[in-house]
Amino acid sequence: METASERNEGKPVKILVFACRWCGGIGAERAGWKRADLPASFRVIPVECAALVEPDAVFRALAAGIDGVAVLGCHVGGCRYDEANHAALKRMELLKVLLDTAGIGGERLCLAFGTAHEDHQFAAVMGDFHRLLQGMPPLAPWTGGGDEDSPRSVGT
Amino acid sequence: MAKTVVLLCNCFGEIGGVLPLEEIAGKLRESGDGLSAHVLPSLCMDRDAERMGTLLRDEGADSVVAGGCPSPARRETLRRALEIAGIDPARCAHVDLREGCAWIHRNDAAGAARKAADLLAMGLASLGERGTSPDVWTEVRPECLVVGAGPAGLAAASALARRGVTTHLVERSAQAGGMMNLLSRVYPGNEDGKSRIAPGVRELEENPRIVFHPRSRVLSVKGFAGDFKVLVQTADGPLHLRAGAVIVATGAGVFLPAKMYRYGELKQVITLMELERRWTRGIGEAKRFVFIQCVGARCPERPYCSTICCPSSLKNAVRVMEEIPGGEATVLHRDIMTPGAVLEKYYRKAMETGVRFVRFREDAPPEVTGSETVEEVRVRDAAGGKVWALPADAVVLATPLVPGMDNRSLKDLLGIELDGHGFFAETYPLHPLETRMDGIFIAGSARWPVSSEQAAAQGEGAAVKALGILVQGRVSALSLGRVPGRKLGHGRVEEGSCTGCGNCVAVCPFLACSLQDTGNGRLVSRVNKMRCKACGNCVSVCPNGTMQIPEHNYRMVGAMIRKAFSE
Repeated sequence: METASERNEGKPVKILVFACRWCGGIGAERAGWKRADLPASFRVIPVECAALVEPDAVFRALAAGIDGVAVLGCHVGGCRYDEANHAALKRMELLKVLLDTAGIGGERLCLAFGTAHEDHQFAAVMGDFHRLLQGMPPLAPWTGGGDEDSPRSVGT
Repeated sequence: MAKTVVLLCNCFGEIGGVLPLEEIAGKLRESGDGLSAHVLPSLCMDRDAERMGTLLRDEGADSVVAGGCPSPARRETLRRALEIAGIDPARCAHVDLREGCAWIHRNDAAGAARKAADLLAMGLASLGERGTSPDVWTEVRPECLVVGAGPAGLAAASALARRGVTTHLVERSAQAGGMMNLLSRVYPGNEDGKSRIAPGVRELEENPRIVFHPRSRVLSVKGFAGDFKVLVQTADGPLHLRAGAVIVATGAGVFLPAKMYRYGELKQVITLMELERRWTRGIGEAKRFVFIQCVGARCPERPYCSTICCPSSLKNAVRVMEEIPGGEATVLHRDIMTPGAVLEKYYRKAMETGVRFVRFREDAPPEVTGSETVEEVRVRDAAGGKVWALPADAVVLATPLVPGMDNRSLKDLLGIELDGHGFFAETYPLHPLETRMDGIFIAGSARWPVSSEQAAAQGEGAAVKALGILVQGRVSALSLGRVPGRKLGHGRVEEGSCTGCGNCVAVCPFLACSLQDTGNGRLVSRVNKMRCKACGNCVSVCPNGTMQIPEHNYRMVGAMIRKAFSE
């Protein structure tokens, strides 16, 4: 497969993870305790709640040449901040549609709400997402400019 | 000159065994001015606090990146070290190198080393952009509002008043006691309902710190933990109150089993509540009592167990056997729910005194027969299929407690939540008396059907929770919030660029955002820092980045993204 061979030419998968500190963060920590064996392709930015992940941040990550972004939150109905994660999930689902429409691919945004808060779940989510992105062409960093210091700009 | 020190934990080889820490530290030292890095055997031992503190002080550090495990224990040691060195904790970034790197990538040493370097670079980058939310304080009104004067409300008001807190007890009816006024005998124990609440009523009458407002209802509650502004409609007109905390103890309603088991048609079919009244007014000639459990409970419309009906029926069945000469009691049930030692004792006692138990299936409920009066109750035994025809003088329906009819309006004016059934919802199972609004607590059957004893226990618990706020002279916005420890920060609006679109107002779960007129007709968003819990919803829906949480702002996220794959 062409995309896979491109990947094989030495471009490692890059994944950025926004993990809420109550679910995704705990899942990540427990995956460590259980010594899960995971690909070293992801970097975690801990967030207070999935609601704090700006859609803009997802765009900025993809524009920076990161292949995929995962947003890990709690079960809908089990949010420490009341219904904050429910709003976040709806927002992120919309963003997936937008990414599809833009031709970037909604599957580059991985959502796991309440399904990454245990070690095996976190490991499964990260492993699956890694394999999925491995089969996709790498994203090149956006070079179209944009002012990095102003919010809602295209650059990072 | 600003100096950042990177502390790398070897974790006695747990981290250093996978990651080339010295090499990473060396690269960091070379990478820029004002940066130094140290590898330490551990960061979490008691002695480490002193050691790290001295090291940071000697280095003249003003910010720190700590790479190690994510455990809070280490952070406590680190916090003490920062204190020794006089560094603001907000100037310290934590990087997870153990669970998040060394342990899960131990089979890919090169990949793990790259990731560790990236994570540290992200930590360093975040320090450069991280802001702090200035804390705000509010003077605490050392008064409490308790809504509802049943067993829970009375217990709460008594507990608060005995500790010197002026407590406004708002009650809908003319007298205190709630449902206890209707009970002839209360389980566990052998007293009537009025004696059960007598200590609370005495406290109410004798303690001047309890201000009782009978025939009153709460019309509005504004403000926040520490200072709620309350409007109460009393019998003498509207009354404005201020209170540092609010306890909702409005109890529950009773379910009327209209048309079930021919209730309302045959006058011998009564509810448990009516049986209580009969005990008080004279039990009459009835000798053969048949109790039917789960009437309108544990069914699709009300899938919950009301918890009080089994013990109530057992209590009454035993009483029939013991107090009525020739009395006979049969309990038709789907399951008997008597958790705990005390209630189980009732069950044992009922069996010992000769109460008959017949279990029926949900799909084959008992049938009450008779034309003018009850003749028999027919029931198919779930165990053997035998159909019993039980002659009965009285059929007692055990009906559940249901959400109070004021719950919905009260929920709206307080900004708290109801559960799927309509009872007041706790925030989280580990915070059973707290609501989503800081400073507003729930107790008793308002939150779930409970016995009077449990209601009183919850009332006292809620009082202690309220005291946690009321004993403080002033309360800090950053200390509020049910999240452990300090909250992250709070939303900040750049007034110049706010367009007043109201997105933040629409999504805030805590009613913290509001639009306010700047005076020239322009609307801008304001964040009530006491109510904000820093979930970040407002930030994510703000169309132009005007709303930010300084501790996690877009510049910081951008800087971290840029460094995420820099190695």
